[in-house]
Amino acid sequence: MYKAILYKEFIKTRAVIIILPTLFAAVAVFSFLQLFEEIRLAGKVSFLETVIQKDTAMFPYFKHLPTFAGVLLASVQYLPEIQYKRLKLTLHLPIKESKTIITMLLYGITIVVTLLLITIAALLIPLAKTFPAEIVNAQFMTLIPHFIAAPAAYLLTTWICIEPTWKFKIPGIIAATYALTFFTMTAKPGAYMPFVPYLIAFVVIAFCFPFLSVARFKEGIQ
Amino acid sequence: MNTQPVIQCENITHYYGNRLIYRDLNFEVQRGKILGLLGKNGTGKTTIINILNGFLKPRSGTCKLFGEKMDSISPKTRNRVGILLEGHVQHSYFNVEQIEKYYAGFFPQWDKNAYYNLIDKLHVTRKQKINTMSCGQRSQVALGLLFAQHPDILILDDFSMGLDPGYRRLFVEKIKEFAANDNKTVFLTSHIIQDMERLIDDCIILDYGKILLHEKTQHILNTFKRFTFKTNATNIPNSNILHNTEKLGDRWETYSFENINTVRDNFSKHNINVDNITEEKLSLEDAFIGLTGKY
Repeated sequence: MYKAILYKEFIKTRAVIIILPTLFAAVAVFSFLQLFEEIRLAGKVSFLETVIQKDTAMFPYFKHLPTFAGVLLASVQYLPEIQYKRLKLTLHLPIKESKTIITMLLYGITIVVTLLLITIAALLIPLAKTFPAEIVNAQFMTLIPHFIAAPAAYLLTTWICIEPTWKFKIPGIIAATYALTFFTMTAKPGAYMPFVPYLIAFVVIAFCFPFLSVARFKEGIQ
Repeated sequence: MNTQPVIQCENITHYYGNRLIYRDLNFEVQRGKILGLLGKNGTGKTTIINILNGFLKPRSGTCKLFGEKMDSISPKTRNRVGILLEGHVQHSYFNVEQIEKYYAGFFPQWDKNAYYNLIDKLHVTRKQKINTMSCGQRSQVALGLLFAQHPDILILDDFSMGLDPGYRRLFVEKIKEFAANDNKTVFLTSHIIQDMERLIDDCIILDYGKILLHEKTQHILNTFKRFTFKTNATNIPNSNILHNTEKLGDRWETYSFENINTVRDNFSKHNINVDNITEEKLSLEDAFIGLTGKY
């Protein structure tokens, strides 16, 4: 049964599963080309000085891209379920509803997290070959809150998609947008680190939000 | 033999906002029966199906499917229930083959042949996406999936919606075939009552807020009649005997479950002189209009 649920989720999201890694790869390549161009123009030492003194983020395009990935994946996965109330078909399957929803959510989270891990590796491993560990570490600390935004955005978008009424969807969109700004604030590398456990805790809590929407959907709230 | 009703609805009361849909609705569906729920738009046909499947919480009351309350239907019972949503809604991003593969993963008794026997009669390829099909073709995909599931009960919400006469006829024939098999139960709604006549054993006619009638279809067809007559009276009130009496040109018409003599006696009792009274047998659609009125 779980295999069948995963199969359905794959059919819905297969285009996005190709588009997102392609987009991330293209942005990563562009970021490196830009980085090497700056090093070439300024010289490695001067460039390093700037990075250290001004706390420059080397991958600024990855500030909002993970959030976008989370929103896109959740939209592709859950909008078809809400269209014509197809979720009724999904919830009518001979499997516990909670298990169905957990499987669908874990599918999405797994894709997002896999994409992020590969991206982190693809960004930081080449960086480690050129720059000292301190700089690589600083860039990692800069990226990590932005990357945690992806599962948060995925779960919040799922919550809003499944929510049956616009009366709750609109405050949901406002609250979610506000919550996601905490993941993309600009700060010195590492300044965010004490805050990261709270961001992770938020993601764990956000995992429960879609269940609230499903419960409201099942009550037929309009 | 298990005599427990397949469906039990007890004292269902529901409102949308302040608008009453029904108060204290009660009915049962016995195993092996085909029961049709008829009603005008807005009388709550889809609402009762949603309540029954646990997709809507009524203001009060309980529905049970195979003895299980609607808000806690177990996966085992869901395995026995096939549902068709209004408009033959399906996961239309699948193609013909993919959707079969998907549902096959959930039902241990899945019968792939039952699905493909229906699909192979359509002019579609196995790789064709469901969202590129006509409404009639989609209805056959939905029906094929339901038959492959081998449920004990089919719950069909407005199965005739968007179907041309050929597909409607095909749908009705297939449902009859299904129900004749192994004492299966069918609970359905439709706007097109002429289809129901050939299909349903029992009939519930819903009016705004209540059940108007719950009877065997054959009983309605045999006993409910239209009477036309002439009279000088300006007003004939409805009663327990007469339904929806109205003037049409220079003649009047009324509907009743009583025979012509009882109807005539009823007029005499109210000092209404009637001439040329004639009695007419009705189709189920005419009977529905006679009971619920045209408006």
